[in-house]
Amino acid sequence: MEEGISLKEIQRRVYMTFFQDGLWDIFLGLFILGWGLAILTDLAYLPGVTFIGLYFAIWGVKKRLIYPRIGYARFSMTSRRRITARFVILGLAVMLVGVMVAVLWGIGARPQWLADYFPLVFNGILAAVVCFIAYWARVNRFYVYAVLIFLGAVFHMWLGVRWEFGFIGAGGIILLIGLGVLVIFLRKYAKMVEEA
Amino acid sequence: MRRHEIVISNSDEGQEPVNKIDRLIHEPSRYMLMAYLYVVEVADFLFLLRQTGMTWGNLSTHLSKLETAGYVVMEKEFLGKKPHTTIRLTEQGWNAFEEYRGNMKRVLDNLPSK
Repeated sequence: MEEGISLKEIQRRVYMTFFQDGLWDIFLGLFILGWGLAILTDLAYLPGVTFIGLYFAIWGVKKRLIYPRIGYARFSMTSRRRITARFVILGLAVMLVGVMVAVLWGIGARPQWLADYFPLVFNGILAAVVCFIAYWARVNRFYVYAVLIFLGAVFHMWLGVRWEFGFIGAGGIILLIGLGVLVIFLRKYAKMVEEA
Repeated sequence: MRRHEIVISNSDEGQEPVNKIDRLIHEPSRYMLMAYLYVVEVADFLFLLRQTGMTWGNLSTHLSKLETAGYVVMEKEFLGKKPHTTIRLTEQGWNAFEEYRGNMKRVLDNLPSK
């Protein structure tokens, strides 16, 4: 057993338990993949459906597959409020930018640079959100995912790769990494039943 | 319930912060358990087992001591046919840990610098 551990370190470890199984990587990978498929097939509702469906599926898998292996812990109400507040602020900021772009587009007052570099701006915002998660949860591989998402737009702008293929490629890679992390996790932690 | 601390006599006045340290929490394994339960609202037995790296027996013994002192409460239930124990700090445990942190800080702050 390790001794002399600080409270901050313990808090960090508890945060990390939520990401060590790779399920949130799989969630992100499928969501990004969903964006690509939505653009490819013109199914605008696909990202929303993917997001909601996956979110509930993840909690189901956590309950059946993850908790019997590493146990379950719940943060205090104060911590949960703080975490929720962070994501609400992040969501509102992204929505605000989205609404501003939509309004500028709608009234025909969009700046030319925005029209020219829209994929870069869009992927940049998505990458910034993923960076925020990486920073907040201290999961470094999420920075790599942010770079992959941003590269999709770079390849589109300067190498002529179709925008949707950038999403599909990045989503596919993130999904594979997530599956790899999940396999490692399942092999590392066997199911345990409490002794009576 | 009574705190696990040394009663201070007049001759111990100079060592007051040291003597006030709760020895039940000061034991590394129990400190670790209290710290985890301080960070999370509730945890199950398996979570604490995985996080602390203790054995079943060890963890059970330390939790029993903390429960006897009134610092934690353990709720046992059955999920299907499997036993499941959830553990949380009591208010007394929370206060004791806060006090422990304060006392430890004072003790360390009082040490002369080199």
